[in-house]
Amino acid sequence: MSASVGIVLVSHSAELASGLRLLVEQIGSDTVPLATAGGTDDGRIGTSYDLVLAAVRSVDRGAGVVVLPDLGSSVLTARTVLEDHPSPDVLIVDAPFVEGAVAAVVTAASGADLKTVADAAKEARNVRKL
Amino acid sequence: MSASSDSTTTSATTVSQHETAVVLPANLHARPAGQLARAAASFTSAIQLEYAGRTINPTGVLAVMGLGATVGSTVTVRAEGHDAEQAVTALAQILATAE
Repeated sequence: MSASVGIVLVSHSAELASGLRLLVEQIGSDTVPLATAGGTDDGRIGTSYDLVLAAVRSVDRGAGVVVLPDLGSSVLTARTVLEDHPSPDVLIVDAPFVEGAVAAVVTAASGADLKTVADAAKEARNVRKL
Repeated sequence: MSASSDSTTTSATTVSQHETAVVLPANLHARPAGQLARAAASFTSAIQLEYAGRTINPTGVLAVMGLGATVGSTVTVRAEGHDAEQAVTALAQILATAE
């Protein structure tokens, strides 16, 4: 296993994305390539095509990238970016934002491949927290 | 390791089964859950954690957290495979030293 799968956190809020980043670095790993795309280009609540694209490019180490959007236009913006720049190695994953990010980062830290990391994030939906 | 630890081995030729019970020195919260999941993924053996009648695969960090295991309770680590003993030792060590 060479490079780790990269993770991109897309959120309406830069603070939400960066806070989640701090959390997953504590629980999972601070060695997994991880980037956030939070808020608009001018720092408001919203999403930015350019920030998402830059984030995806910045974490691509050759093992693929998992993109996790929070909701709403984060999903739409991320999908548009991936449609404009199609790659079989960049996957948008439908997962709960916090739980999916934690599962993805922990799984990526163990050297798992792209499909395994994406599946771990998806599976987060089915894990009870109580 | 915890004084309550107890190992049993029922080995075949190369595949072995190991099991240890650990009394948690702290709640099994997010950080040790992450450590357990990463450690569990590094072994080839099938590993299980058992707590309060529930059994989970510790490679799933969310499943580990979802156990809701609290300080003073007992978690059993079980593994079967070629590196079962090392797996049980490694995971029990994380459980026994969680803060």
